[in-house]
Amino acid sequence: MTTPVSGTCPFVYDEIRDFLNLEARLLDQRRFDEWNALFTPEGMYWVPLADQQVDPVNHLSLVYEDAMMREVRINRLRHDRAWSQQPRSRTAHSVSCIVIEARDPDEGRVVVGSSFMMNEWRSFGLRTLAGLYTHDLLLSEDGYRIAQKRVDLIDSEGVFEPIEVFI
Amino acid sequence: MTQAAVPVVDIDGLVRDDEVHRDCYVSPAVFDLEMERIFGQAWVYVGHDSQIPEAGDYWTTLIGRESVVMTRDKKGDVHVLYNRCPHKGARIAPEGCGHVKGLFRCPYHAWTFNMDGKLRGVPYREGYEGTAFDIEDPRFSMRKVGRVANYRGFVFASLAEEGTSFESFIAGVKSSLDNFCDRAPNGTVSVAGGVFRVMQRSNWKVFFENLNDTGHPIATHESSYRAARQYSNEKLGGEMPFQLHIIDGNGAPPKFWSDLDLHAFDHGHSYMTAIFKAPDDPLSQAYFQSLAEAKGEEAAKQILSVNRHNTIIYPSCSPHTSFQQWRVIRPISPNRTLVEIFTFRLDGAPEELLQRTFIYSNVVNSPSSIVMTDDVHVYAECQKGLETQGGDWVSQHRNAGQDQPFDGADGGIIGVGSSELPIRNQFRAWHQYMSESERPGDGDAGS
Ligand code: FES
Ligand SMILES: [Fe+2]
Repeated sequence: MTTPVSGTCPFVYDEIRDFLNLEARLLDQRRFDEWNALFTPEGMYWVPLADQQVDPVNHLSLVYEDAMMREVRINRLRHDRAWSQQPRSRTAHSVSCIVIEARDPDEGRVVVGSSFMMNEWRSFGLRTLAGLYTHDLLLSEDGYRIAQKRVDLIDSEGVFEPIEVFI
Repeated sequence: MTQAAVPVVDIDGLVRDDEVHRDCYVSPAVFDLEMERIFGQAWVYVGHDSQIPEAGDYWTTLIGRESVVMTRDKKGDVHVLYNRCPHKGARIAPEGCGHVKGLFRCPYHAWTFNMDGKLRGVPYREGYEGTAFDIEDPRFSMRKVGRVANYRGFVFASLAEEGTSFESFIAGVKSSLDNFCDRAPNGTVSVAGGVFRVMQRSNWKVFFENLNDTGHPIATHESSYRAARQYSNEKLGGEMPFQLHIIDGNGAPPKFWSDLDLHAFDHGHSYMTAIFKAPDDPLSQAYFQSLAEAKGEEAAKQILSVNRHNTIIYPSCSPHTSFQQWRVIRPISPNRTLVEIFTFRLDGAPEELLQRTFIYSNVVNSPSSIVMTDDVHVYAECQKGLETQGGDWVSQHRNAGQDQPFDGADGGIIGVGSSELPIRNQFRAWHQYMSESERPGDGDAGS
């Protein structure tokens, strides 16, 4: 049973806000292993290509990565000969407008929407990526775990220079 | 009457048999001349007709600097028109793919046009009475580009009314277009899953040169193939799932690359034999079954035995026949190039095959690809280096003088996999295009 929530439960809300802030912090500090450990074993990191894309499998995505592909991306970011990471990307995320969109207390599942901005500095200069996050979170003994992190860039169908780090 | 000031470019002085001058990549005057003499004449890829399946569908793109729109009319015919209103010049079709109900309507003063560009109606008709305006006069309709060719759904256009026929233009690499479609049980393919768009800070020719450059993967892609191998060794006991396999391929040793074949043809085209193949798994077997049912087992085997990596259709696109990718190259300025990547469904093949194709696209061709990012980076480094005064000439010496005529299928010239043959071949075509001007009034080009 999934019940949409109109108000927010303060206790859950604070924890969730802290969790999203921590996640962003880990990315900005390049603590990628700790970040990757926030996912459930089957957890997916998804950046759709289309506006309101429903399907990551029967359509192209900017990114659709499982634990393996995230780890390979992390391995590469650390490699000495990751040419396009010289200088390496530096990022600052801001997460705001956090809204609990749905929750299922029986399953310990919460769907959280938010807005984000990621400023990134790399070899070609400074750029901003912006959009909406949708976190599908599961409450486990270790706290929240990400079943899916969905990143809807407002310019997902636009023209990009390479995106190397996690948004 | 004098021509618009075109700075004098000494074309013959820019190209040698085994090296080219850096001005080819950095000079705005050379770029302007390319827009006129190459993109104003050559057959340029516009789109695939599956992007406009219904009457009233359209797709906008660029031919050189020209904003054009590909349309489908009621009879099912495909047209390529300049995207420009004959009234005051507004662009008529919005960017991208879309549909109109039977006719275009200009957003500015509501002139309407059939899908073939013919003017159909203008408001305030009475105001035009007794003027030189004539609804039947072609100059009040949307202008068609010079010539259009549709080969098995792939639509190419030339801005020039006259010139090399499409048949003779495509001859050398026609077999790649055929194989692209023949791999489909129904014999047709269709664009699926959206379009990736990547901006490169480099000249358009840098990208073309890279497409068949087997000298670069082992160096450029070291970080990604090492990352894939590290994961495979640490977590999978050396096993390589499909995604890791296609990343790992770039780390093959030099002998692997030399042993490939490079085939080059007139007009700058070329192709190379495949680097990696689809795994022999239940999905590949189910796909083979579907192809064999449609065409017979022998024919299916023959079709799949044609295994190629990038084919180059100079100067606008590059199909990857084995994994149904199609890259389109749009020069924006001397140091900016837009690459659009399309993915195709093999009509009649199992749906899961398209899913695997999407996985391939996501890994290799997405703007987030961990492979492509290093390519795009080194292209930009080339561009920056070429803008310096550190040297005027760009080497294309690898295996120069060793290319041989090929008497097998498709003919052309053959070179070892590590040869810079495709690059030299592109510049042969470049030189030809750039030396010839079909514009009346140019007179004796000389040099
Ligand atoms: S500009 Fe198109 S109708 Fe006036
Ligand atoms: Fe490459």
